[in-house]
Amino acid sequence: MTLFHGRWRARVSLLAAGALDPHEEAAVQAHLASCGACRADLEASRRALDLLDRDPARAAEPPVAIEFLKTRVLARLDEAPAPRPFRWGLAAAGLAAAALAVAILPLLDRPVVTEKPVPDEMLARMERRLARDSAARYLDEAQDLLVNVSAHPADCEKDHGRIDVGEEARRSRELLERRALMVELGGDEVASAQPLLDDVEGLLREVAALPACVRAESLEAIHRQMERRHVLMKIDLVTRELRG
Amino acid sequence: MQRLARGERDALGPLMERHHRRLFRIALSYLRDVDEAMDAVQETFVKAYQAAARWDPVSEVAPWLSRIAVNHSIDIYRRRRRRQRSEAPMPEATTDHDDRWRAADPSPESEASGREVGQRIAAALQSLPERQRAIFVLRHYDERSLPEIADTLGMSLGTVKSSLHRAIARLRERLGSATA
Repeated sequence: MTLFHGRWRARVSLLAAGALDPHEEAAVQAHLASCGACRADLEASRRALDLLDRDPARAAEPPVAIEFLKTRVLARLDEAPAPRPFRWGLAAAGLAAAALAVAILPLLDRPVVTEKPVPDEMLARMERRLARDSAARYLDEAQDLLVNVSAHPADCEKDHGRIDVGEEARRSRELLERRALMVELGGDEVASAQPLLDDVEGLLREVAALPACVRAESLEAIHRQMERRHVLMKIDLVTRELRG
Repeated sequence: MQRLARGERDALGPLMERHHRRLFRIALSYLRDVDEAMDAVQETFVKAYQAAARWDPVSEVAPWLSRIAVNHSIDIYRRRRRRQRSEAPMPEATTDHDDRWRAADPSPESEASGREVGQRIAAALQSLPERQRAIFVLRHYDERSLPEIADTLGMSLGTVKSSLHRAIARLRERLGSATA
């Protein structure tokens, strides 16, 4: 193994994944000729990826006939925007599904309903809804990010023994930009969520300020704050409230 | 797609026939749950219809639909994770989430072996952060090129490359004994 082995590892993985362009592939192949560790790396990656050929998900068939799926999609287009959970497996068992599909299929030819002018009051209501939805989405994503920071610490490749939070730091910065926009657009509509939004913003600022590779101890202060303020639980409650 | 963009609902039929199996496999690879995968496919076509007017005619339909399906799968996964977290501490994924799905017409032996492999792969995939998993699924279950994946997920090519490498490294660790 050479001192520069580490920098070839990513390219060797990508070669195993068949994801290099011809020029990059030629360079990696040339390196492999003189690097036994890289060849072993390549073999190990290929063995793992070969296993995917035996994954039944690759050849899995949808559990319902296409006609039934069409029926569901058309029904959804006629519903309110929020999706309903549906037990597809139960539907697959019954002939009723097929009968229903046959009955509703002709609806595919229905003409599109023409749009009517939207009254101002309705527009204002939609704007309020939008402000609350975007606050809820922001909190959802912040919650996922904070959970990732706590639950999915990946080892840092450049510096073993440290944790890689580069992606989380980048996403925190993006979320903070969205947060700034949200305040401009819907301040009053999300007033009840303000204390939580402030807490979350503080945590995101801390994550955003982290370097890509950190010691585990650097994350502990963030974890403690999250726990002390019950941030994750509050996000669950507030997003539910925002979505009505 | 142009008919769909004009709001013609009957254009959905051929689009769904052409793409629903592929999208189901992408969603199932990501979510490992038949009901959730079918929900993702359904919502993909709903969104495709609603957003068809904004579709760029120079871009291909398949990656556009893949993008919608992956984003829905990520949303569904987040909802599931929140639900699990509010009910109990989230366990480390060790088994397949759903074993009701089968490859078309397998023999009993290959079905048993396939199920075991499927469970190991599911556990390994579920150990990946959500975006890494999306990149991996698009590459290995939808055969997308890295630039296409970068475009699909709105990431830089460099991020896609480093994330795919990390995903492969972690899967190697997780699948180690199965590949020895």
